[in-house]
Amino acid sequence: MSVDSSVQGIFAAFEAAAENPLASSRAWKAANGTPVVGSFPMHFPGELAHAAGCLPVILQENHEPITVGHGMIYPFYCGYTRSVVDQACKGDFDFLDAIMFGDHCVQVLGAADVVRAKLPNTRVHFYQLISSMSDPWSHSRARETFAGLKEGLEEMIGRTIDNDAIRASIRLFNRNRQLLRKLYDMRRSGTSPLTARQMQLAVKSSMVMDKAAHSALLERLIERLEATAATRQRGVRVYLSGHFCQAPKLGILDLIESCGGIVVDDDLYHGQRYISTDVDDAGDPLDALAKWYLERNLKVPCPTRVDQNADWETYLLGAMAKSKADGMIVLMAKFCEPHMYYYPEIKEAFEAKDVPHLLIETEHETTALEGIRTRVEAFLEMVKRQTIAKAAAAARLETGVV
Amino acid sequence: MGNFFNAAEVPVVKANRLQSSSLNNRMVNDYWTEVFNAKAEGKLVCWYEGVAINPLMQAADIRWVHGEAWSALLAARNNEGPAQEAAEGRGYMKELCSYARTHIGCGVLAQNRGVEASGSSFSDALGAGLLGERVPAPDMFISAYPYCSTGQQWDEMLYRLFGKKIPIFNISVPWVWGNKKDAGYLTGAEFKEATAYMVRQLKECIKWIEQQTGKKYDYDKLSEIMAYTKKAGELRMEAIDMCAVKPAPASFFDWTTSLAPVNFVPGGPQIVSYFETVKAEIAERVRVGEGAIPNEKYRLFWDGIMNWNKIGWLANKFAGYNATMVAGRYTHMGFWHEHECIDVNDPLEGMAINYLVCPINLSAPLMIEEIIKLCKKFEIDGMVLHAARTCRAFSNPQYLIADAVQKRLGIPVAMIEGDMVDESFYKDELVNARLEAMMEAIEGKKRMIIPNAA
Repeated sequence: MSVDSSVQGIFAAFEAAAENPLASSRAWKAANGTPVVGSFPMHFPGELAHAAGCLPVILQENHEPITVGHGMIYPFYCGYTRSVVDQACKGDFDFLDAIMFGDHCVQVLGAADVVRAKLPNTRVHFYQLISSMSDPWSHSRARETFAGLKEGLEEMIGRTIDNDAIRASIRLFNRNRQLLRKLYDMRRSGTSPLTARQMQLAVKSSMVMDKAAHSALLERLIERLEATAATRQRGVRVYLSGHFCQAPKLGILDLIESCGGIVVDDDLYHGQRYISTDVDDAGDPLDALAKWYLERNLKVPCPTRVDQNADWETYLLGAMAKSKADGMIVLMAKFCEPHMYYYPEIKEAFEAKDVPHLLIETEHETTALEGIRTRVEAFLEMVKRQTIAKAAAAARLETGVV
Repeated sequence: MGNFFNAAEVPVVKANRLQSSSLNNRMVNDYWTEVFNAKAEGKLVCWYEGVAINPLMQAADIRWVHGEAWSALLAARNNEGPAQEAAEGRGYMKELCSYARTHIGCGVLAQNRGVEASGSSFSDALGAGLLGERVPAPDMFISAYPYCSTGQQWDEMLYRLFGKKIPIFNISVPWVWGNKKDAGYLTGAEFKEATAYMVRQLKECIKWIEQQTGKKYDYDKLSEIMAYTKKAGELRMEAIDMCAVKPAPASFFDWTTSLAPVNFVPGGPQIVSYFETVKAEIAERVRVGEGAIPNEKYRLFWDGIMNWNKIGWLANKFAGYNATMVAGRYTHMGFWHEHECIDVNDPLEGMAINYLVCPINLSAPLMIEEIIKLCKKFEIDGMVLHAARTCRAFSNPQYLIADAVQKRLGIPVAMIEGDMVDESFYKDELVNARLEAMMEAIEGKKRMIIPNAA
């Protein structure tokens, strides 16, 4: 694929893949003859599908209105679930060679049943990952699950998957994650001029593109960014939290920044959550993947898991301090049960520490952006005043003038 | 002649409910009284939800609070409001499972009172005051939720609400999906593996229970409890089978009020005796040709979870249509219905199997086959699918079920929206309109068939 290697050109390539993931993977399949394995978010080890010679693609919520899908699923489901059902009903997934997944969110399971019914000629396989992360058998069960997934892939391709091939795929995926994390580091330290929209396009495209091709683009991008001295952005430093299976709408990210916020870090799945943890590339690869699965939840705790060794709210407070964020905006996809369950923990912890946050509920259907704008503006104004007041109080303490 | 199915013209008819279900109320009251007295009697209390793991606790002399049962009781006695408001006050949103919101709300109420895990006493008689405040605080949690991710998170949030100080044990229940060709109901390599995995976890759970009680686990007691449970399950399914006759002697609504003895009431001679009484009453009704409603013309199937706020109202409503709600997924595809799998001398495998094939844990193709069998067996004319707004676990496969029964059995369906214990999601007029349309379609179909047959 020839790509304009300017920053603009690289982002055009990311955008093409991120915003039209099915067209992009269909084109890749046609050009390379590679089987395409679709997966649901959020814990599917694409490394195994890659080692089987397939292109792993994380199925995305699209921007289309949900129409025929409403004949198969109730409206009180999250936008991701309804969109996936709608895409399956419209035949958008017909080119996929398989859909494999391991997460057990009850709404996604509902979608999975419909997807299987609508794609009678496609392998729609489920390998249920243990979601209780701190049991004595969590590791061994995760390993057993990944072994089952490997077996399913082997059955599909008609040959065994070599451990060396899995290790090579692990290295390739690690490299990609490391490059994306580098972009995150640059953003936190203020040496990257990238917007929240661009950060999402970089991560989301990684979920649907061939990893080697994506990493090549990232390497060029980082070179270009390092060669250009970034002007330090001014504004309220915002941490973005939430949104799991579906990417937040780009319009909301633009809005936050247009209101005077600078997104300095996030725990979004289409962000830091996806790239937080590497897999050991030595030893038994299934063991390594099981270890990755459990460690990932300690790095960036996920409310879809239960884990006695992780606290999402504590993580968020720490991440905000690390990125010197002044306020947090929580983006919650409407009907997302894991998020709704956990939100009171965050709310209480943030209020106890007097750290400001704003909850915004988002929907698949066009959100009333102007209503959100008013709330974001008010929030950022409040955070700005609070930050100034805190700085003044700290200065008074330092000078002894009270 | 007016439109018979128009809600305004439907006569008020009272369903002929089983007399024996009043015995159930007594057992339920006794059970909750024991729960309320637990701390005063020095008993440990476990909070849990989901499948009926209560025999595990009963054998260890632990008292148990089943979250759904507790929430349903509060709703049935119009006492759910304060708990739901307490949950909302802490930031739990209305779209969350209403059972969970109600139960977590009780946790919030307990926290507000400063209740500690031990030493609190709730010995008031059942029926007076604010029920939501009367459930004893937990000494432990066991989470064993099939299919629904919400279940495990509900327990986790309770664990966190009580300051992560109360021990919790998680049993992960695999969904019966079926990747392989040999996958079927109760059969196939995946099902066998899932059963073995469940048994391993149940054994670990028993070891954990020993740690909590400090006593050796009494496996003989478990066998004894499971012998009663198996017998109760057997009698219940035999009585259910007797309802295939016309008119059906008992309805789905009767079976919903008979769930407690096979769900959370202690296993003992009383639950066997209860179903013997129920079965005898049904046998007598069959003998004299007495139906669950005065004039059965139509036979319906209820898919989905129960709407506890509306149970009596719905039973009478369908009686007004001369329609018996004969069977349902909730009542007929769970609650020790696979009693034959239980070996009372070594009950864990049979328990695991029953947990795995509960009414939400089968993937749609397997579930649909079981529903179709029931529709044929009970000669169903139409299906009502209750889309419980906050129970996606039950609502998930309903479009697939509706499609299958319409295509394969040619029976009309009605999808109605409601909820388990949050009445605000229920709208009478919408329900009326959909039910009327279905009843018209059933009647139309019968009229088409009769002349042809003649």
